[in-house]
Amino acid sequence: MSVLTGQIRLETRLFLRDKGDLFWALAFPVFMAVLFGLIYQGESWDGMPPINYVLPGIIVMAVMSTCIMNTTTGVVSDREKGIFRRLALTPLKRHILIGGHVITRYLVVLVQTIVLIAIGVTIFEFTIEGNYLLFWAALTLGALSFFSLGFSLTALIRTEKAAVPATMAFFFILMFLGGCFFPVNMMPDFLQPVCKALPSCHLNDALRMIVIDKAGIGTVWPEFLKLGGWAVIFSGIAVRFFKWE
Amino acid sequence: MNTAIEIEGLTKKYGDLIAVNNVSFEIEKGEIFGLLGPNGAGKTTTVEMIEGLRKPDGGTIKVYDIDVRKDVEKVKEIIGVQLQSTTIYDKIRVGEAIDLFGGYYRKCMPTTEILNIVSLNDKKDSFVHTLSGGQKQRVALALALVNDPEVLFLDEPTMGLDPQARRNVWEIIEGLGGKGKTIVLTTHYMEEAERLCGRVGIIDHGKIIALDSTRDLIAQQKLEAAIEFTASGHVPDEFFEKLEGVSKVSRDGNDFVLQTRESSRVLGQLTRLSEARSIILGNISVRKATLEDVFLSLTGRRLRN
Repeated sequence: MSVLTGQIRLETRLFLRDKGDLFWALAFPVFMAVLFGLIYQGESWDGMPPINYVLPGIIVMAVMSTCIMNTTTGVVSDREKGIFRRLALTPLKRHILIGGHVITRYLVVLVQTIVLIAIGVTIFEFTIEGNYLLFWAALTLGALSFFSLGFSLTALIRTEKAAVPATMAFFFILMFLGGCFFPVNMMPDFLQPVCKALPSCHLNDALRMIVIDKAGIGTVWPEFLKLGGWAVIFSGIAVRFFKWE
Repeated sequence: MNTAIEIEGLTKKYGDLIAVNNVSFEIEKGEIFGLLGPNGAGKTTTVEMIEGLRKPDGGTIKVYDIDVRKDVEKVKEIIGVQLQSTTIYDKIRVGEAIDLFGGYYRKCMPTTEILNIVSLNDKKDSFVHTLSGGQKQRVALALALVNDPEVLFLDEPTMGLDPQARRNVWEIIEGLGGKGKTIVLTTHYMEEAERLCGRVGIIDHGKIIALDSTRDLIAQQKLEAAIEFTASGHVPDEFFEKLEGVSKVSRDGNDFVLQTRESSRVLGQLTRLSEARSIILGNISVRKATLEDVFLSLTGRRLRN
């Protein structure tokens, strides 16, 4: 068993044993999907079942809760408990430690998305009109930018107690202004430029374009580019300011 | 080669503060060596530099002839470290934690063997957060043992434990010492150092101020007994120094400690003096001199505060 798979197993175990993690990662998004699915059941928006608009937003919310909230609180808590310090005394390499954190949470992202899509398809009339692979690519790129934002935030936040409200604030801003539940064009004019610059907005747009408009890479590439740009910027900040102690 | 750890001119600065000041000493293989000192004296910084956790500003450190500053990865394979606080995930089982740490090393001991050493066999499947303080401390010790290390660093291994739990940990440490492990122990419990350590180094203000076996340290300071009491009334500073047979007087407000080799003679004089000068002496006790008194005698301060 390689050290990396050991780390992934460890992180998976810790995740599955934490009721709070499980609630935010699965129970809450599933509840939201079912709730909104039922509210709009039977309606049709521009010839589309409303779930095709709603579900991508819920997926983005779920992905952000894992990549931002869960990553940040997890890293801050491990650091505060002195676990990073203890591990620094073993031959475990730092990139494997971080790799284990990220890969496990990426697996959670895939599970969340598959569960939400499965619910949409089986209970409601959710369909992905465009390419599944492109959908997955957008999701992965979004996850990358959110992960790097999550790691950047750990540089600002020292304690686990502060981590929950601080990441919540970012999470809510990204969720409500980024178009997860309310379309960005409903926002007040002065907020629109801010909304349109958020990575959550880019991921929402990309997913909805693929799901609803059957968009191919030729159309969604600007959103991909912006998500990639955020990933690069946040990674740079994370690498520069991340603290092990 | 019988030297486990060789330190030469070790120095660490934090801005203007010199935390460790040109420290040199050697630790033999198979020795249980104690590093004593008050909080902030530099003992943890010293140990953390040996472990490779902190970079020194000067000096050389060799562990089993490996230069820590050049080859820290090699050193990590042969040392085991127990940190002051138990630093492991809450929601992990004891057995899982040992397996996890074992996976980090090239060489590792079987989990059951480690559980045996720290007497936690029946806690293998318990979550760490459900354990008592003493059991958690033994988990930390177990994690320090996974690679069957040559050198074991224990930082305040019994801090905050009740007497029974403390004795359990002491017995485990003695057992490991019996197996020939080199153990570096930092503590500010004097009785712990006296019981476990062959030699002790006393650190104060970043310098080693004494280094020898416990018995020799006490003998060198001409200490045999310590008389402690409180004195009320006006007592000038040099009042008790005039007594015959007193080798050292330490004062903390109205609390006095007289170091002496002739306790009965000093006690006699004390009684007469207090009657003559109407000074009321209270809580008088006479005890054997300990490392605590050595520290007091060397620095004029108490170790625990």
